[in-house]
Amino acid sequence: MMGWLDHLPILPVAVPMMAGALMLLLKDSRRKALTGLAFLSVTIQLVVAVTLLLMTAGSISSDWNNDIGVYLLGNWIAPFGIVFVVDKLSAVMLVLTIVLGISALIYSTAFWDRVGIHFHPLFQFILMGLNGAFLTGDLFNLFVFFEIFLAASYGLLLHGSGSRRVSSGLHYITVNLIGASLLLISISLIYGVTGTLNMADLGIKAGMLDAENRKLFETACAILGIAFLVKAAAWPLNFWLPNAYAAACAPVAALFAIMTKVGIYALVRMGSLLLPTGAPAAFGGDWMYAIGLGTLLFGTLGILAEKNTGRLVGYSIILSSGTLLTALGMPGVTLTGPSLFYLISSVLTTGAFFMLVELIKRTESFGSNVLSVSFEAFGLDEDKTSDYSGDVVGVAIPAALAFLGLSFFTCAILIACMPPFSGFVAKFALLSSALELTDNNLTGPSISAWLLVIAMLASGLATVIALGRSGVRLFWNSGTLQTPKLSIREAIPVSVLLLSCIALSIFAGPVMDFLADTASSLDDPNQYINAVITQASNKVMAGGQ
Amino acid sequence: MPLVLIVVLPFLGSILAAILPHNARNQESWLAGIIAIVCAGLVIYTAPAVFNGEVLVQNISWLPSMGVNMTFRMDGFAWLFALLVTIMGALVVLYARYYMDPADPVPRFFSFFLAFMGSMLGVVLSGNVIQLVIFWELTSLSSFMLIAYWHHRQDARRGARMALTITAAGGFCLLAGMLMIGHIVGSYELSEILASGNMIRNHPWYIPILVLIALGGLTKSAQFPFHFWLPNAMAAPTPVSAYLHSATMVKAGVFILARFWPVLASTDQWFWIIGGAGMCSLLIGAFAATFQQDMKGVLAYSTISHLGLITLLLGLNSELALIAAIFHMINHATFKASLFMATGIVDHETGTRDMGVLSGLRKAMPITATLAIVAAAAMAGVPLLNGFLSKEMFFSETLFVDQTSYSSYLLPSLAVLASSFSVAYSLRFITQVFFGKPATDLPRKPHDPPHWMLFPSAVLVLLCILIGIFPEQIIGSILRVSATAILGDHLPAYSLAIWHGFNLPLIMSILALIGGISLLYVLKPLFRSYPGQTPVLYHFDGRKSFDAVMNGIDNIAYILLEWFSSKRLQPQVLWIVLITLVVGVLPLLDGNWLYLKQPFSFDPAFALLWIVGGACAIGAAYLAKYNRFRALALSGGAGLITCVTFAWLSAPDLALTQLVVETVTVVLILLGLRWLPRRVIEESQVTPLQAFIRRFRDLAIAICSGLGLSALVYIMLTREKPEGLSAFFLEKALPEGGGNNVVNVILVDFRGFDTYGEISVLGIVAITVYALLRRFRPPQESIHALENRHEIQTIDGNGLTNEHSLPKGILLAPNVLGRLMLPVITLISLYFLLRGHNLPGGGFVGGLIFATGIILQYMLSGIHWVETRSRVRPQYWISIGLLIAGGSSMLAWWVGQPFLSAISWDIYLPVIGKLHLSSVILFDIGVYALVVGATTFMLVALAHQSLRFYRKTPVAEVETNAEASTQLNFSDRVN
Amino acid sequence: MEIIYSLAIGVLAGSGIWLLLRPRTFQVIMGLTLVSYAVNLFIFGMGRLSVGAPPIIESGTVVDVSSYADPVPQALVLTAIVIGFATTALYLVVLLALRGLSNTDHVDGTEYNS
Repeated sequence: MMGWLDHLPILPVAVPMMAGALMLLLKDSRRKALTGLAFLSVTIQLVVAVTLLLMTAGSISSDWNNDIGVYLLGNWIAPFGIVFVVDKLSAVMLVLTIVLGISALIYSTAFWDRVGIHFHPLFQFILMGLNGAFLTGDLFNLFVFFEIFLAASYGLLLHGSGSRRVSSGLHYITVNLIGASLLLISISLIYGVTGTLNMADLGIKAGMLDAENRKLFETACAILGIAFLVKAAAWPLNFWLPNAYAAACAPVAALFAIMTKVGIYALVRMGSLLLPTGAPAAFGGDWMYAIGLGTLLFGTLGILAEKNTGRLVGYSIILSSGTLLTALGMPGVTLTGPSLFYLISSVLTTGAFFMLVELIKRTESFGSNVLSVSFEAFGLDEDKTSDYSGDVVGVAIPAALAFLGLSFFTCAILIACMPPFSGFVAKFALLSSALELTDNNLTGPSISAWLLVIAMLASGLATVIALGRSGVRLFWNSGTLQTPKLSIREAIPVSVLLLSCIALSIFAGPVMDFLADTASSLDDPNQYINAVITQASNKVMAGGQ
Repeated sequence: MPLVLIVVLPFLGSILAAILPHNARNQESWLAGIIAIVCAGLVIYTAPAVFNGEVLVQNISWLPSMGVNMTFRMDGFAWLFALLVTIMGALVVLYARYYMDPADPVPRFFSFFLAFMGSMLGVVLSGNVIQLVIFWELTSLSSFMLIAYWHHRQDARRGARMALTITAAGGFCLLAGMLMIGHIVGSYELSEILASGNMIRNHPWYIPILVLIALGGLTKSAQFPFHFWLPNAMAAPTPVSAYLHSATMVKAGVFILARFWPVLASTDQWFWIIGGAGMCSLLIGAFAATFQQDMKGVLAYSTISHLGLITLLLGLNSELALIAAIFHMINHATFKASLFMATGIVDHETGTRDMGVLSGLRKAMPITATLAIVAAAAMAGVPLLNGFLSKEMFFSETLFVDQTSYSSYLLPSLAVLASSFSVAYSLRFITQVFFGKPATDLPRKPHDPPHWMLFPSAVLVLLCILIGIFPEQIIGSILRVSATAILGDHLPAYSLAIWHGFNLPLIMSILALIGGISLLYVLKPLFRSYPGQTPVLYHFDGRKSFDAVMNGIDNIAYILLEWFSSKRLQPQVLWIVLITLVVGVLPLLDGNWLYLKQPFSFDPAFALLWIVGGACAIGAAYLAKYNRFRALALSGGAGLITCVTFAWLSAPDLALTQLVVETVTVVLILLGLRWLPRRVIEESQVTPLQAFIRRFRDLAIAICSGLGLSALVYIMLTREKPEGLSAFFLEKALPEGGGNNVVNVILVDFRGFDTYGEISVLGIVAITVYALLRRFRPPQESIHALENRHEIQTIDGNGLTNEHSLPKGILLAPNVLGRLMLPVITLISLYFLLRGHNLPGGGFVGGLIFATGIILQYMLSGIHWVETRSRVRPQYWISIGLLIAGGSSMLAWWVGQPFLSAISWDIYLPVIGKLHLSSVILFDIGVYALVVGATTFMLVALAHQSLRFYRKTPVAEVETNAEASTQLNFSDRVN
Repeated sequence: MEIIYSLAIGVLAGSGIWLLLRPRTFQVIMGLTLVSYAVNLFIFGMGRLSVGAPPIIESGTVVDVSSYADPVPQALVLTAIVIGFATTALYLVVLLALRGLSNTDHVDGTEYNS
């Protein structure tokens, strides 16, 4: 028999799934019911995610061995059945996702959830997909969850239609369908070689391969890595990103801020599990470092060259992906903790930035009318059925502009990794631990470490220049800025995300320690593997079903 | 007393100031002033301890794992600067109160002003170098906001951006330097770093560290070659210039150079880098200042030159020089700030700062004039004023630098030259503005400002005089304690007296005074002929070159971006395929693969099958551009072959599913084909070479990938199969899964969660498709095409509405048959659903079959007829399907089993007997429902588009109607 | 048998990829279909080939594992087929929408005159 606490790991998937299904029973005109359901669902998810985090941190006592929770779906033992595994990393990602999700949801209720139909169910489904991807311990199941959140993301990207969204959506979908084929090929190839799909089991089996099978395994992993790198928007597989993200409506783009990080997560996870048998080139190691460096520079170029603010944020996402890949590509686990800190900070920041950009756009519009913006921008005038009169036009906060300016300033500082916010903490942590990495002949930091330092500082400076320019252009150019109509439901999420960044910088110490633990547990995947396998053996002793 | 208070108070004040009302000029000033004074009080409160030579330290743990904590450290040097910052702050606040216009939005001003004060105090009190960098960057940021305070002015915006860019760049260099120091020393604590000077100086990284920290300091202190941002920063309100850009922030650079003097100094590199930069700034600044037309311009360049003097002193590697540097920091702050205030007053009262216009103000504003004259005299180094003393020390230092013979003359003579220029511009500053005949054409009628506005400047001037006359009494102890903080207890002997006897430095001063006066007369004509133009130097305009660099960066970045990315889809796909191909092949390159592990079996029939299949595929690829219909048919053919293959290779379930999916897909695409544009082969247009090359390249890549995949499959097929999961499944399927069809048991039980996800995908896609099609806007040409087809279509569409039950004419028989088919199809689908667990089939196949049944109706009887009669509400089917699947998976919770566990009941019914109910079959029913829902949802939505064209109306309205009717069919049928 | 099977996959994939690289939306969707056939066959092949051994167990017989085809890849292929079907449908609709909005069937929504 299992207590309710034991069922927690499945809830992040089951709750949004059921919520989304229920929403399909409601007509879109039943907005109160829909939003109520949505908020109920995300609240539960938040509570669950936080609880899981505390359990992995050991703050809540659980019978998990070394704080890794394993949930046997269908009660079939690993590696045969599908398992959900909650370790520190996945718990962190869950919390991050849901925090971002809640903010995006609040934002959307001001306006965007009504420019088309089915917003709320799709929103729940994308959360379901993301949570599942972070939780699952089975390779093929990972693919399935990738498909879930991608399918939902197609829907959300196209939400509101309009030619910009559709044309960039076509690119986005094509790329991801090809990515899906790559995933299928590589995963099945891995099965063909090792005869297993369970990640933990894979960690063991990969070590037992003979030379030739090993080669095939390397091939499989290489292809798998490419599939993940496409998701992670690594150069040159990321041309689709800026347009797609800029075209998506603000709350969706904000939520997308975490999607590239799913690719990173997958790379980290697989890399960690394959570590004892010598991780294949695709995960960790020089490849990732080189690609990451390329991506970093590419993102910097984009930020420098791009004039359109929406695409600019897209490039800053690419920049963050590049930084992460570079840092994670460095040898050893020293940089993993800081990288995760950077990941959290950059996800929160870019999420806030996407919403902010949409708010700032309004200051340029005539009559500061939200509707007019969306009309001329997205051709909503065709749509007679969906009503968005209501509370969109909130009271014009006198301080609206000040708020926008301050938020933009904060976002810029965060993205440029300037003091005093979490961005700087992350950058400093990355750089200082990069310098700790000595190369083989122990004379001092390796060339790659120096390159990382230089690249990060240079990109920071470039970001200062670029964001300084666009900030000046957006807020100071003409004295005739429209004071935008800003509904409080749009101000709250932005401030929530930025304040959480500030909190992150204040409590940097404990957070960094926790992430360091996470890193060390990633460095010792046997914890994960044992957790899954022992769970299975306990199960067998308990006597099957 | 907690030191952190000194730093935190201003920040709190800044937040408070931000939320005060828009026009609360007095409250703001009171707030800022009180905070500044309180901080000053706190600083003075620590005086006894500090003067005892104690070092007060307060440590707040922040990021211990990284060795970064908030350490606040108050020693003599920090104390001096803290005092400077706070006192100056208080004075400038008082001044600003009268300077700022009542209309100005002061909250922003004072809020950033206080933020700056806090950051500056943070810099001077930092006991941890990373913390120092943090506050350092904060000063840059707040100065950015303050320079751009009047952001409607273009020069303000430009000046702000320039200052930010350069100081931020310096900050990044500083960070890098600190990181390296921390790496060497193994700690970021200032006290430990100061203790390990030798270690750093002897480390191979010394040079880079020196360069980086020098970059940090020189950018901040506007030293050559980064000096040009300071004159542009003069667009800021004068209080800001007085406070940030003369007294405090620009001093941060020399502050840090002095701070790290014990660590980095006393090497040749230090002498050449720091001393050289200082010398250049000293000369260039003084020279340029002489030719400025704007009063603030003069002061800005003279600031550069005086900071250059300080930097040079620091660079001289002599302890006395260091003391002189500290002394000059104090003096410069006093006279320069008061001069800025005077300038501000003149600007405020007359409405201009143009020295060409201003003249003879001494009559109109005597007090201001007096103050300005004294301060300027101090700046020029006139005896009995503080400027004189530090300049004397400077001269003596230049003499005692032991150099090779020729340079022992060079340095003093350059020093004299520079100071004669500074005499020249000070003199010019005064004579032009305050002497001569009173100017007539001033924007405003000048008169002395209210006394409180003069007060701060007066205090400072008084200081200049007092220090000038009683140096030892006034400043001696402070100077000593702050010097001790850097140099340690045994200071070199020095005397702060006015009269050292008739010695070389005195002669140099006199020379400088005379030289200055004569220079002024020599250059007079130049001022007239080229007002405001610096000879020679105006060729190198810092601002222009900065803008040029910025634009250059932009353009290069843009070009590179164009180079390295593409907005088009094809290059993206190409990259992905190519990279995958490469990385996939790389690991396999070595080793001989193609020997056979298994007996080579060959089956001609199978071969024939795939010759057809391959032909279909290639044909489809070839025709897809010009003949879509045939291409579709051919790819369908390939699909059929695939499904035969599955059947052949003992995968009946796959064959079945593939078959049904194939059917539905083809129907879907057929429904879509009509919207695509007609494409005719353009004979005339010859394919350009480029296009040909592109095609060839693509073909090559395609073939290679194909071959690669074949090779991979072949290798795999001919290898031993690993001991996999399959055994477990085959053995447990019947006893524990309770089904004969292992594949189906895997789908709904062992790996039911995959199915669970898969149906979610289907549902998601279905609602997306529907949402997208509601907005479908048909291409123009298709509309015409369809309108022309009306006559033929009558049977299908208009002909068959609610009053007819059956169409007349050619479609009669098919309709009758079709409707008879429907129940049969339903039965078949249910049969497949139920038998799924034991034989090929299952919920998915069943659902698709049922869906095809419905599609059949659509194709035969037309949309109106079906939708007025059919009771299928796809959206609800989807929802119900998901709910059933989810619910059946959750049932397990009630018996304490994990999600998706199969639970079964055996019920005895009187007649039927034992009935085996399992949550698994429930799950499969959920799948069935969802598949039915999703498939019909998509097909109907797509088919429905043709409804848009039965009315000859503008597109928009057609759409809304169509949407309305779609709504009706899909959602409005609840009751 | 094996050689034909693998060549078949190669041909399908090759023609599919060729189409993926073409500029017209219809070509791309055809390409995706062909590639998905190839991928399905590929996954299936990972269980190795066997004729006349469908993994359907007669009740009441002792299970000889070796006499059945590997059911796992079949299950995976089924999932893959369904997802492929869904995405194809979506892609079709998106390309129609693009066609409607941009009045061209070029993948970039604009005609280049090169």
